[in-house]
Amino acid sequence: MTTKSDNIPKFAGVDVGSLTTKSVIISNGSIAGYGLIPTGIDTEENGRLALRKALESANLKREDLKYIVATGYGRISAPYANKTVTEITCHARGAYYLHPTTRTIIDMGGQDCKAIRLDKDGNVVDFAMNDKCAAGTGRFLEVMANVFKVKLNDLGSLALRAKEIVPMSSTCTVFAESETVSLLARGEKPENILKGIHHAIANRVSGMFSRVGVESDVFFSGGVAKNIGMRSALEEVLKAKIVAPEYDPQLVGALGAAVLARNYSGKV
Amino acid sequence: MVLETLEKINQAVKERPRELVKAREKGAKVAGWFNYNIPEEIIYALGLIPIRLGTGGDDRLVEIGARYISTKNCVYTRELVGLFARNQDPYIINSDIVAVDATCLQTYRVAEVIKHYFKVNTLILGVPKHFSEPEGQEYFRKELQSFTRKLEVFAGTELNSNKLSESIKLYNDIRKSLKQLYKYQAIEHQPIKWREVFDIVHAGFYLDREKYLSLLQELLTELKEKHGEPVIGNLNGDARILISGSIIPPGDTKLINIIEQVGGRIVGDDLWSGLNPSLDVNIREASIKGIAGAYINRVPHAALPFLDLETDRRLKNLKQLIRDHRAQGVLYHTLRYCDAFSFKAGETKNVLKVEGVPLLEIHTEYAGSDVEAIRTRAEAFVELIRNKNILENEA
Repeated sequence: MTTKSDNIPKFAGVDVGSLTTKSVIISNGSIAGYGLIPTGIDTEENGRLALRKALESANLKREDLKYIVATGYGRISAPYANKTVTEITCHARGAYYLHPTTRTIIDMGGQDCKAIRLDKDGNVVDFAMNDKCAAGTGRFLEVMANVFKVKLNDLGSLALRAKEIVPMSSTCTVFAESETVSLLARGEKPENILKGIHHAIANRVSGMFSRVGVESDVFFSGGVAKNIGMRSALEEVLKAKIVAPEYDPQLVGALGAAVLARNYSGKV
Repeated sequence: MVLETLEKINQAVKERPRELVKAREKGAKVAGWFNYNIPEEIIYALGLIPIRLGTGGDDRLVEIGARYISTKNCVYTRELVGLFARNQDPYIINSDIVAVDATCLQTYRVAEVIKHYFKVNTLILGVPKHFSEPEGQEYFRKELQSFTRKLEVFAGTELNSNKLSESIKLYNDIRKSLKQLYKYQAIEHQPIKWREVFDIVHAGFYLDREKYLSLLQELLTELKEKHGEPVIGNLNGDARILISGSIIPPGDTKLINIIEQVGGRIVGDDLWSGLNPSLDVNIREASIKGIAGAYINRVPHAALPFLDLETDRRLKNLKQLIRDHRAQGVLYHTLRYCDAFSFKAGETKNVLKVEGVPLLEIHTEYAGSDVEAIRTRAEAFVELIRNKNILENEA
């Protein structure tokens, strides 16, 4: 564990997402600590709280931090940060930090989904985002978990138990929910329906990749990346292997923000 | 440094509705128009007052318009219908006739709707889809002849060749002045912002055209006296963005505001509510035939099909504007259900990719629900361009 007594500069990233707020602290080229909390209604306070959690986990104080970058939709309310950067740039930086051969990123967060392309130096060269729709987001999967009365974390593993796939015709959250209820009433097995749901989302997400292209290595970030059923469906649909997660994919945006904080700090 | 002529133009726009009322009281007739290929030269030469109609960005008007047309029609056309339904826009109220060409068929259909529901006196100008074929050109010539005959009856006068020549000269001078203004907004230490130039283009939808030209020339003189000739010079690290795509009419400031808020600098456009109507209009003779030839042969609107990418003048025009204005990225704005431009987004992106120019498509409508999502995209695009600039400077 890194501590404040080592005189090595420390940098923090704060990613205020729609469902969770994350913070990561880096020092001396490694991750010193992190914080992750559910996002509440006070955007600014969410960021401060996640940062405090990260400081506690790294055994540091606020004044030990040399530079802070905030990202995520809540970045517009982050007076505690030295700079704000979009989550697109931050996820790119975080993924490249963890896996420098990353050329394509699928980022599936609470309320949006992004396809990001990088060059060999980790610079963003193209990106696409989902369009005013919850399909392919954590919020969609939350609704589905509620329909199946299972924990969000168990959704993916349940889908992987499927022996068959029940095609899902809609990725609209509202229609998919009612379609699922109908399928369950018809006697379809939950795991087969879930596999259909994951594939429907993967097919929809693949539309974004037709705009930006797919090049290996493919990196999967964001909270939804913890869902192994989603990972499997995406690999099948995109016909590309997704690199194994080496770090919590939900923290990649905050990590990228911390890496950028380090970079910007050298320029101030 | 404050540009005094800008304030004069703003003031003139504020006074224009009252002027129109007075002019009509004295017997003048106003010919409002919308869509893309109505030659104002003919309207003006007939002694009518041309006004380009249409606004954007008002979701309430879109809702009103959707009572008469489908919610699957683009928001611009829904707002147009909403404008006629509400009947409070001073230019709509003061239009004695509304001319509409059939370039964009959704917009053209608005003419049918407003005639049916609101008994608006409309006049239609047909536009060929095969515009580059001899038959298409002949069709447009005949359509324009027929359109002019009907407009002559409405105006109570015949088209006079001297007046047509004067009108053509006036509009050529306006187009030339606007092109010069666009050069000023693109220079490094901009004496005038693109947004101000864009607003000036829109002022030209309403103002008396002679007065408008006089104000444009006064503004250009003021700019030249204070800032010299417009030379772009060295770029200062701005993320220089050119806006392309669907119409951004007066009142629709959503995307422009966002780009400015995230630190992007707009340095040009190829919009049909911006620079495009001023480009490439070569009227070879002062006649209906000459005007028809010039309008049908200018850079075509996206609603007119042109399937050969190698010879598509829209792409050539866009690439030229990128070079002229030293743009480093293109923000391609598409309105939901604006098929003409939405269909072309992918190919435009691919063509520009070869040129090393990134393109971001923003697909939107007038509701505010997607503002934050657009902000993230636009901000990331600005970050991408700035990072590219840094890397190119380091290389």
